[in-house]
Amino acid sequence: MVRLRSISIRNFRNIHAADVELGPRLNVISGGNGQGKTSFIEAVYLLATSKSFRATKPIESIARGADIASVRGRVTEDDLEREQSVGLRRGGRVARIDGKATATLAEYAVTTPAVVFHPAGLALTAGPSAERRRLMDRVALYTDPTSLVALEQYGTALKARQKALVERGATARDAEHWEALMVEYGGRVMASRARAVEKIADVGGRAFKEIATPGLSMNIAYGPSASSVPSEYREALVKHRAADIRRGSASIGPHRDDIDLKMQSVPVRGAASQGEHRALVLALKIAEIEAISEARGVRPMLLLDDVSSELDVERTAALFKYLGTMPGQVYVTTTRPDLIDTKGIGAHRVDFVVRSGVIA
Amino acid sequence: MNSRRLQRVVKLLSRLPGVGEKTAMRYALHLITTSEPLAHDLAASLAELQQHLRPCSICQNIAEIAAPNDEPICAICSDNKRDRATLCVVARVHDLLAIERVGAMRGGYFVLGKLLSPLDGIGPDELPIGKLLRRIEDGVTEVIVATPPSVDGEATALLLKRELETYVDKKGLKITRIASGVPHGGDLEFADPITMGRALAGRQAI
Ligand SMILES: [Zn+2]
Repeated sequence: MVRLRSISIRNFRNIHAADVELGPRLNVISGGNGQGKTSFIEAVYLLATSKSFRATKPIESIARGADIASVRGRVTEDDLEREQSVGLRRGGRVARIDGKATATLAEYAVTTPAVVFHPAGLALTAGPSAERRRLMDRVALYTDPTSLVALEQYGTALKARQKALVERGATARDAEHWEALMVEYGGRVMASRARAVEKIADVGGRAFKEIATPGLSMNIAYGPSASSVPSEYREALVKHRAADIRRGSASIGPHRDDIDLKMQSVPVRGAASQGEHRALVLALKIAEIEAISEARGVRPMLLLDDVSSELDVERTAALFKYLGTMPGQVYVTTTRPDLIDTKGIGAHRVDFVVRSGVIA
Repeated sequence: MNSRRLQRVVKLLSRLPGVGEKTAMRYALHLITTSEPLAHDLAASLAELQQHLRPCSICQNIAEIAAPNDEPICAICSDNKRDRATLCVVARVHDLLAIERVGAMRGGYFVLGKLLSPLDGIGPDELPIGKLLRRIEDGVTEVIVATPPSVDGEATALLLKRELETYVDKKGLKITRIASGVPHGGDLEFADPITMGRALAGRQAI
């Protein structure tokens, strides 16, 4: 298993300087709203993945008045220890493992896997498809490390084709070449997403049965927007050129993919109750953890940001029951540390209190 | 810092690729404070560059000229031992130099100067395709497309293939693409000689 032994945070959001030794199993971070609980867990996620789970630019995480924010930590995996660090500054980020910058951020991100569950993540099943594509791509990063490169290449070809069509019309001479590349790179993205969803579907379906009302079942499938037959995909792109100029982007392709979620054979969007959505989200999160564990061969760190405030009592209990069976390092933030039911994982519980960006 | 002259030099230096304001200031201060006549020599050499170097009128590689009205022909194009039937198409002079370092390429070159990139305002008409076609008509039997393996490089390779199609059908022109042994999404420039040698040897018909 992989775990963080210690973390040093500098100028990150409202945390100016913090050096913390962490517990091996369960870390409970409590404090009032706006005191820095989420910033702390976000720093852990940043150290693990080089990215934030909040939808903000890196620059916005730098404390006011500072030029650079940094997070550094000691990570142990099996018997080996490594030092990781991520520095944020205007114009980008640097991620290092044992002092050396990794060739790509993707390489850094798969080194110390972490899965986060936060209130905004509850929109996973009911909200827009972008969150579900991100889920597929997070898992694909581990099952197929080149998927991120293909996704970036696809994005470049997609934008280039759109610009060519807008500038030179539907008969632009170079449109066919960008389309050929969209089909090539997009095909790679689709293949790796299909494999990722296969992993998610298997575990997610089983997890849902345990969490939801007995007798309910969830069906998870990859919902690609474009045909997986290259010639059909290309023909569709050509056919849509004029329409795509009007709508401002390609009407088909991986950027419009989704995960098809069905409960008792009915699409869940608009049909499932709020409680059912929560159970679905939880099942998908468990599936994400399991899929990453299997692909990476190590249990990811699990970061739970204020989930008990959003999940009902039953789901929270189901989540902690699952955590009891999952050997891995867990971080929980809460306003009410006394309410965290730590049966099963409580033996090694370490508590922290965050007040005005100071962690004690 | 209040010298307008110093400021001007810093501004100019920071326009160079990879040089930020801080580095530019370091360079400028070094030029002022060093005891060597570095600034003077540098200025003279740069002025000479401007005077004596031009893009080669045949391949757009860098060519040296003795007098301002000479036709610029580069060392490769004026080398009679080069195989004129093989033409290697590259994006930039940089890439040409990277391939030359390997020493495996015995033919001539054609430097496009840019890649297809609508996001930077470069469409097919901005590429010197007409000039390339005239060059091919001059006895070329194989075109090696050595644009980088980036998205723009691949699109440019596809465009060249399409534009050269009639020569393939009518004159039996062979078009090959260097093998993708070069780093993914990367620069030809960073490829080591062995990788580059393999990429050239492993080129395939497209
Ligand atoms: Zn020349």
